[in-house]
Amino acid sequence: MNFFYRAFLNVKGKKGRTILLILVLSAILLFVLAGIIIQNAATTAVNNAKKSSGATVTLSANRSNAFKKLRQQKSKNPTLSLASVSVKTAKKIGNSDYVKAYNITNSTSVNAKSFDAIKTSSSSQSNQMSGPGGKSSSSSSSQGDISLSGVTSTSQVSSFTSGTSKIKSGRGINASDAGTNNVVIETELAKQNSISVGDTITVKDTDKNIHKFKVVGIYKSSSTSSQTGGMGQTDPSNTIYSSYALVNSIKGTTSAESVTYTISNPSKAAAFITAAKKSINTSKLSLTKDDSTYRSLLTPLNNVKSFAQKIVILVSVAGTIILTLIVVLMIRERRYEIGVLLSLGEKRWKVIAQFFAEMVMIMVVSIAVAGAGGKFVGDAVGKQLVNQTTTTTSTTTNTTTGNSQNGQPGGGGAQMANNGGGGQQQSTQASSQQLQKLSTSISVVSLVQLGAFGLAIILLAILIGSIGILRLQPKKILIS
Amino acid sequence: MLKTKNVAYWYDKKEHKLFDNVNLEFKEGKLYAIIGSSGSGKTTFLSLLGGLDKPRAGTIEFQGVPLSKIGLTNYRNHDVSMVFQSYNLFPYMSALENILTAMAITKAEHVHDKDYVFEVLEKIGINKEMAKKKVGRLSGGQQQRVAIARTMCCDAKLVVADEPTGNLDEQNTFEVLDLFKAVAHEQNKCVIIVTHESMVAQRCDQQIELKNNEFLIK
Ligand SMILES: Nc1ncnc2c1ncn2[C@@H]1O[C@H](COP(=O)(O)OP(=O)(O)O)[C@@H](O)[C@H]1O
Ligand SMILES: [Mg+2]
Repeated sequence: MNFFYRAFLNVKGKKGRTILLILVLSAILLFVLAGIIIQNAATTAVNNAKKSSGATVTLSANRSNAFKKLRQQKSKNPTLSLASVSVKTAKKIGNSDYVKAYNITNSTSVNAKSFDAIKTSSSSQSNQMSGPGGKSSSSSSSQGDISLSGVTSTSQVSSFTSGTSKIKSGRGINASDAGTNNVVIETELAKQNSISVGDTITVKDTDKNIHKFKVVGIYKSSSTSSQTGGMGQTDPSNTIYSSYALVNSIKGTTSAESVTYTISNPSKAAAFITAAKKSINTSKLSLTKDDSTYRSLLTPLNNVKSFAQKIVILVSVAGTIILTLIVVLMIRERRYEIGVLLSLGEKRWKVIAQFFAEMVMIMVVSIAVAGAGGKFVGDAVGKQLVNQTTTTTSTTTNTTTGNSQNGQPGGGGAQMANNGGGGQQQSTQASSQQLQKLSTSISVVSLVQLGAFGLAIILLAILIGSIGILRLQPKKILIS
Repeated sequence: MLKTKNVAYWYDKKEHKLFDNVNLEFKEGKLYAIIGSSGSGKTTFLSLLGGLDKPRAGTIEFQGVPLSKIGLTNYRNHDVSMVFQSYNLFPYMSALENILTAMAITKAEHVHDKDYVFEVLEKIGINKEMAKKKVGRLSGGQQQRVAIARTMCCDAKLVVADEPTGNLDEQNTFEVLDLFKAVAHEQNKCVIIVTHESMVAQRCDQQIELKNNEFLIK
């Protein structure tokens, strides 16, 4: 360890050179650290996106198969028969480990009795025009003015998770409401009819039966009628949420139209589908994956990640080149010293080890300097990237929302369309917040990574620079 | 203790030999001077004796063993100690640290013994205070004395020096020569000095002149 002591004396003795090297190495490591910080932040954000963006799998009627059967029917008036999901099967599949939560949805339409529905002239027109396109899965032939949406819990309905709809007073529907006649109504409908939480309202179903509903909550929907008008709905304020069981009892069925499973890890969505297919008749029912949110988030985040990776590689290469040149010059300048060492019979590798040890000592200080400065550089670059990412993501969001709306299988209407858009925007915001927050902190891991990069850079620079030492003839020290 | 057997050396062309068929013997306890004009090949010859290079022909034996058998690095580490015209101390170290470092590399008997080093330095006129200063702050004469102290503290039995007084004034030259004499006579080492000054050579025990590619013992 003699060379270690020499290295120490050299670093201590040549203060000017040491400070200069610390500055150069700090600058190199600063950029490497910035890259590492952003890279780590992006990795974490990707992981968070996986967790938070939650891919969903929707279990509903297999429409393409149903249409195939329809074409095969020989009768003069073929009817499209769509299968429904039994609540029992829905729950059984919902017990899978892949599933974080599930929402059984069902809907029907009823007519307001003890109150008046909100009337929109344009919507009633378009209602008639696009009628069949709308609630295709509904068995009723005559539409009511109130849309009754049965769910497991409102907190899982995408318009609520996205914030488009919010509970204003009372509470939302939850799993324990199954078997009750509790409902949640929209604030405009409540205002118009002076209904408040705790009141009882009555509706008349298509078979002219009267049902009493107890209002347990009032929600406010900020969705505009233009958004949903085209979907064959009446005004969005006429949507009443209840437990899916209540809808079932009105319709007289024990099955649901669709079940939306929220998958805990979006990358496992396909595995979940494979597993769930064993429990269903795939010719009648289908499972549709919607992880577009996750995917659309993934792309910009992965872009940031690969950009950061490029920074790290670029700076490392540039740093290695710069440092190698410095080492080459340093070794030239120290030819005599090396000659004396060789004349004393010191082994060449120990001479190289001394230079390496000197650099490592300098690096330790440089890492501290870079660590202090890296916070600021990381912040600045990180913010810039977050801004860019958010812009890119919202663009992607718009595109995917459009797509998912078009590609939506069957009915769900406004509710399903919101699924893509709303959830997506929310998790995008969440993950860019993550990125923003993460980029400001330097973890021990980042510093260890930085140390590893620093060591690699130094090792390379010394190895390349030391070719001169290996070739140096000790005799040169005498003749010059 | 050191013998050259039919040693020859040339740089680029075999026809331009610097010297050929050199058969010399150097004994311990003696101070030798190799004298010759500039460019005659003194330094080249010394580099062979110091194990910095191999002769083109012939062999050099240290205590009866060919250097090629000892291994040049090993030979430099154990058996020979060098002093240069430009002192060649480690500039970022003090005199003390320079000597301790050399002792550590050569695994000298008194390795890590600071008091021993201070004692040796004191004898050659470098006090403790000076010994702790960076060598760059010392005068040329002082630096060369530190370099000689370095060879004194290492255990190598052979000391070779290339123009050790070349950068020194007259008084320092004589002082340094006296030190070399002490190394040879008191430490019973074999000291070989290369010089182009006859004034220096005359003060050595034995003069060997390199002239017209031949060594002549005076
Ligand atoms: N590396 C080398 N390559 C070619 N010629 C050299 C080299 N080193 C020295 N010489 C030549 O060898 C001769 C002897 O040099 P040197 O041993 O340094 O002489 P001295 O020390 O007596 O002045 C000189 O003519 C010199 O030019
Ligand atoms: Mg010379």
